[in-house]
Amino acid sequence: MNKKRRYTITFILLILGVLLALFLSLCIGSVKIPMADIIESVKGNPVKNDRILWDIRMPRALAAIILGGSLALSGYLLQTFFHNPIAGPFVLGISSGAKMVVALVMVFLMDHAIGMSSGGLIIAAFLGSLISLGFVLLMSRRVTNMAMLVVSGVMIGYICSAVTELIINFANDAQIVNLHNWSRGSFSGTSWTGVYVMAAVVLVAFIWTFLLSKPLSAYQLGESYASNLGVNVKALRGLIVFLSSILSACIVAFAGPVSFVGVAVPHLVKSLLGTSKPILMIPASFLGGSFFVLICDLIARTLFAPTELSVSTVTAVFGAPVVLFIMLRRSREDVR
Amino acid sequence: MTYYFRTEALTVGYDGKALIEDINIGIEKGTILTLIGPNGAGKSTILKSIARQLSPIAGTAYIDKEDLMHMSPKEVSKTMALVLTKKLSAEMMTCRDVVATGRYPYTGHFGLLSDEDENKVTEAMELVNVLEIEGQDFNKISDGQRQRVMLARALCQEPDIIILDEPTSFLDIKYKLEFMSVLQKLKKMKGLTVIMSLHELDLARKLSDKILCVGDRAIDKFGSPDQVFTEGYISKLFNISDELIAFAKEKNIL
Repeated sequence: MNKKRRYTITFILLILGVLLALFLSLCIGSVKIPMADIIESVKGNPVKNDRILWDIRMPRALAAIILGGSLALSGYLLQTFFHNPIAGPFVLGISSGAKMVVALVMVFLMDHAIGMSSGGLIIAAFLGSLISLGFVLLMSRRVTNMAMLVVSGVMIGYICSAVTELIINFANDAQIVNLHNWSRGSFSGTSWTGVYVMAAVVLVAFIWTFLLSKPLSAYQLGESYASNLGVNVKALRGLIVFLSSILSACIVAFAGPVSFVGVAVPHLVKSLLGTSKPILMIPASFLGGSFFVLICDLIARTLFAPTELSVSTVTAVFGAPVVLFIMLRRSREDVR
Repeated sequence: MTYYFRTEALTVGYDGKALIEDINIGIEKGTILTLIGPNGAGKSTILKSIARQLSPIAGTAYIDKEDLMHMSPKEVSKTMALVLTKKLSAEMMTCRDVVATGRYPYTGHFGLLSDEDENKVTEAMELVNVLEIEGQDFNKISDGQRQRVMLARALCQEPDIIILDEPTSFLDIKYKLEFMSVLQKLKKMKGLTVIMSLHELDLARKLSDKILCVGDRAIDKFGSPDQVFTEGYISKLFNISDELIAFAKEKNIL
């Protein structure tokens, strides 16, 4: 069947894309590491620069894969939840809410000279996500218009960012450098411990989401039809909120807010697949997000090396036009 | 005698406020029951309550002697299927994809369709004459085709009862007739019970077996079309003033 071939080709392309981007991320940098060296090193043979490879580049690339995927998946869940193609963790202010709480907790703990574990960071970010999402949900009761919902999300994002700036003002100089880098969004300095924690959390959230493919496919039709098909809509909505928050919390906790991936990637992947079936979209969005963020991170750290751009700057350059494109196409469809 | 579908002191409404009280009706299997009445009277509210989209305020309904309000969601989905006025959102879905969603209660954990499911989908599409457009995008077909695809989707649930909320609203006369003829066919071939609301009184009168007149706050009348459509009754049900009746007579409308 023609469709099945298209799905298979899309998945092969996505997997190859991620592998290629991973190799490039490992090779390219201030020190060039040839492909042959990487292969040797994976085999366990010692090579020149293997500390750079294993201590710096590998965890960073893996973080981009895990977090990029979870960001795209979180966006896909939110789009499904709101029946709105431009919903996403950044656009709806969820990332900013997470950022606010993480900053608050960081400053407070640093003042008391308490270090923070990555698990604690995730929990703080998760709470922040839930707070923002709660506001957006309240808004969505009153505004049904797609654009208005996004505008209110952006406003919530601004408020949270303003509060974050305020919090940073109370931090001492040493903390500011840290906080500032983090709040702009960057994968630099990811540790292996961080990779293990994020991998565990994201893996569980991913599998859980994947198991929800069937009810999600019914939910896509609209809530009345879903409940007629026997779906417990209330419980499902709660689960979507929980999963999308935890997924976007992960990225904020480890890399700071990264913009537009959640909207752009699911849209692009959907066009590639030619279907919106969750059972295909869930893994495809994840792979697409991994690829997209890996490439953006590579650009962010190599374009003006040794200066690093924030990942969010790069993702915005590629992601925002896609969002504009979706909005323009939607408005044309509305007129028709 | 016992009816196939009946309601017992059913009171429906929103947020605890009763809109229509004390509905007691019964119909036999394979009946087409049509709800008529002025806008806002509560036709949709009744349909939603029967379909379990809205909890009734009091009373209950029985299907084949089983209490509807105590059935599991899965049982309900295999017993009743819906066709609503509100458009189903289908992004990048072909007509066949949309119809296949009706198989939901019968598929496994991941919702994959078996060969048997595929056959049922084809059969349902054939029955309502939409098989030739199965590959087309659901958002790009005509309103008449869309309504029939929705009907095929409902049939895939293999329901005993189909509930339709103003299914002919956006259709022109040709599609209206086409849709109604399909409903009649389903009733005869499958013994399907149909409960729907209609705006078109002439269609309701000619195609229904039973009519339920939903008036202000209560059921006004329930019976066969001949019992319901009596001289002067419709103008009373819709609260049409004498002045308007005179106007209608002059222009020969009613």
